[in-house]
Amino acid sequence: MTPQNPPRDDMHHDGSPDELLAGEYVLGTLSAEARAQVEARLAHDVPLRAAVDAWEARLLPLTALAPADEPSADLWPRIARSLHIAGARAAGPAAKPAARADGWQRWWNSLALWRGLATGAVAVALLLAVALGFRLGAPAGPQYMVVLVAPQDKAPGWVIQASSPRELSLIPLGMTPVPAARSLQFWTKADDWSGPVSLGLVQPGEPMRVPIDRLPPLQHNQLFELTLEPENGSPIGRPTGPILYIGRAVRVRG
Amino acid sequence: MSDFHADAFDHDAALQACARGDQQALQRLYEREHRYLFGVALRIVRQRQVAEDVLHDAFVSIWQRAASFDPARGAGRGWMFTVVRHAALNRMRSASREVSLDDDEVPSDGEGGLPAGDAMTDDPFVHRAMLGRLGDCLSALEPARRDCVLLAYVEGCSHGEIAERTRTPLGTVKAWIQRSLRALRECMG
Repeated sequence: MTPQNPPRDDMHHDGSPDELLAGEYVLGTLSAEARAQVEARLAHDVPLRAAVDAWEARLLPLTALAPADEPSADLWPRIARSLHIAGARAAGPAAKPAARADGWQRWWNSLALWRGLATGAVAVALLLAVALGFRLGAPAGPQYMVVLVAPQDKAPGWVIQASSPRELSLIPLGMTPVPAARSLQFWTKADDWSGPVSLGLVQPGEPMRVPIDRLPPLQHNQLFELTLEPENGSPIGRPTGPILYIGRAVRVRG
Repeated sequence: MSDFHADAFDHDAALQACARGDQQALQRLYEREHRYLFGVALRIVRQRQVAEDVLHDAFVSIWQRAASFDPARGAGRGWMFTVVRHAALNRMRSASREVSLDDDEVPSDGEGGLPAGDAMTDDPFVHRAMLGRLGDCLSALEPARRDCVLLAYVEGCSHGEIAERTRTPLGTVKAWIQRSLRALRECMG
């Protein structure tokens, strides 16, 4: 870990460049791109993660130098609305933390709000399939459908229809308001994938066709979500912003 | 880190309750920490509305990631601060990219658009009293280098902004920060 006689001024000749990288990441002096690269590596790079954790612990007392201040009284209600804290999830069985996964898999699997989502979404999906008159009974291969619902109140916002093995259709059920300079980004992850895959940016309120021929075949229970991201999409190749809509693939028979 | 609160609020237990879907646990964490977390975010992003957006996103993130919080990697209160700080830093760094603030530009001698640093950064007694071992190690740094560390961590300044504020060449600032990090690591272990 500790290099022998490192040149004092050149981190590239230092035996542990990641040590300084981790320090600058925690300090906050890295550029957006460099920050994104570090965050992407944290998912799988155990030594880097350990170095970052150690720097977080070393420098954390400095947070006490920022004077405490009171945000507006609206802030907690706003957070609560985003989580729909007023009872939407109260009835579900207690979720347990993800057992032993690592990196993004662990993070992805651990989102408590995903639990208990499938059952409700299935019912909504089947109803909508009828109500919207989708023709899902094409002969070749299994057909899948996904209803993306808001995590807070399970209100359906988008429908995904897998009309062929090579393409998805993403269909809006209404308008999704998106703040200025932010974008909706579309993601998927099957149970056995190591991390989510971006399916691209989505225009609010507009249908979109997404080629999926480079992905493994759709699976039952495969997860889809729309997250709020920076205008040009997540800079680090996995979701960074809040989840606006989420759902799992349901196999439908024609 | 040292706990600044005398009583025994159990942040780790509250986060584990969040992971089980206990919404009131998150509210208790908010009620307990929001003023400190807001202060940290505000110092970095400098605008109240932006700081509220940061805190909003951070609390949504804390709720969603509560199950992945690992007490073995650090205490829960500290974890919440890291989530808020990095949300604030990500906001600032991507914002500065949007207005194409060039980090490698040689800073001019003119007045920068940033408010001057304040006395917070240069009182070694304050450091020692509040910061424990870290305060001792910071006090051992040359004041100008210590200021670089504090401007970065507390004020969220980029290299370029530190160069402007301290009227120091950018390359010098970068070198000072790296040396300071090495010195702190050696001093603190």
